Amino acid sequence: MSVLIDGILAILAIYLALQCLMAQRLTQTVFLFFAFGLALALAWIRLGAVDVAIAEAAIAAGFLGVLLLDALRDFSPTFSQKQKNPETGQNPPGKDDNKPPFLPRLALGFGLGLFLLISLEAIWKTPEGGGLTAASEAFLPESGVEHPVTAVLLNFRAYDTWLEIGVILMGLLAIFVVGGIRLYSRPFTAAQDPLLRQVILFFTPVLFLFGAFLLYFGKSGPGGAFQAAVLWGAIGILLHLGGRPVFSVMPRWLLQLILTMGLGFFLLLGFLLMATGNALFEYPPAYSGIMILIVETLAAVSIAAALTAIFANVNLMKEDPNQTESTT
Amino acid sequence: MTIKEVITVILLLVGCFFFLAGTLGVLRFPDIFSRLHALTKADNLGLGFIAAGMALHIASPLAALKIFFIWFFTLLASSTSCYLIARFQKEQDQSGNRKEGG
Repeated sequence: MSVLIDGILAILAIYLALQCLMAQRLTQTVFLFFAFGLALALAWIRLGAVDVAIAEAAIAAGFLGVLLLDALRDFSPTFSQKQKNPETGQNPPGKDDNKPPFLPRLALGFGLGLFLLISLEAIWKTPEGGGLTAASEAFLPESGVEHPVTAVLLNFRAYDTWLEIGVILMGLLAIFVVGGIRLYSRPFTAAQDPLLRQVILFFTPVLFLFGAFLLYFGKSGPGGAFQAAVLWGAIGILLHLGGRPVFSVMPRWLLQLILTMGLGFFLLLGFLLMATGNALFEYPPAYSGIMILIVETLAAVSIAAALTAIFANVNLMKEDPNQTESTT
Repeated sequence: MTIKEVITVILLLVGCFFFLAGTLGVLRFPDIFSRLHALTKADNLGLGFIAAGMALHIASPLAALKIFFIWFFTLLASSTSCYLIARFQKEQDQSGNRKEGG
């Protein structure tokens, strides 16, 4: 029975991925991407990687989906003229005359083949005895947390996590470079729609609470900084869409502090640990629990702010330039 | 098979039926409003039945509460998004292009 479910899930994920790539309209691509992300999340759950499943559902299907939808809205005025009515899925677009040239396709095919080979090799050469599972289980008491995934992410391989926080910040910087730094001085205009306003008011504390829950229980179960950050980022995005851009109420230095404090504190802690004679990110076992909690909390706030800022900046990019020029 | 299991299976089957009906509606209904109707109403009902079935299956008060909240939040989110999509479509229909869906 479980083999059947796994098989269906595997086929579904691949099918959705293919459909997502093959879809002729942008709208289809985006919604198939949602579905693909959710199928992938289910697959991760079946594999027992609940942390990854939450992250996949929240970041890939949720956050990326929101960004894609936002991009779709930018494209839709130009696209909807060409292909009449987006919601009657009957009219075939029928334009495939701009095929990519031969060489990129060859390179793409070659790359995909190589990727497939590497994946197959990785499947075949699964280390006996579960790889590093035993080692990480053995040092779990010293890590300060009870959940092995959190122990690996924030203690044994904290370096990776630190860099991941940096990657998100880099993404935001790239958006700043493309779109210019905005000061979010948009006036508060609460959503005109009473229902939307009430729903946003209702969901803000709920999302905050649930994010905090995920953050705190990351030490003993699935959850953690990234998952919590996406929920908190969702608050920011909701408020932004509801006409209350959160960053407009805070001074610029505060925003910059919030954006960088996750990365900065992590690094500062690492240097302090080095100064006391440990390796970078080698927490003393007695304090590792509290250190991980502080690092995770700051990182979650930073990532949430970065995600919100990414969305807000992309969202603001298309607005009339003279309004945004006047803010700087 | 106890009476509890029978009820669980019945609840899950009813839930699946509503999901199926909702999906059929999305695929077959002509315009966006009736599709939204099919999607949100039927799916929320189906999810409610499945949630009730799972709560009965797990049979722990805390888990049942959590499942109830999952259903409740989904209900809120999906009905809100249904309303927003419908409102957007209505505004679009009113402004400019007068091609009624279908």
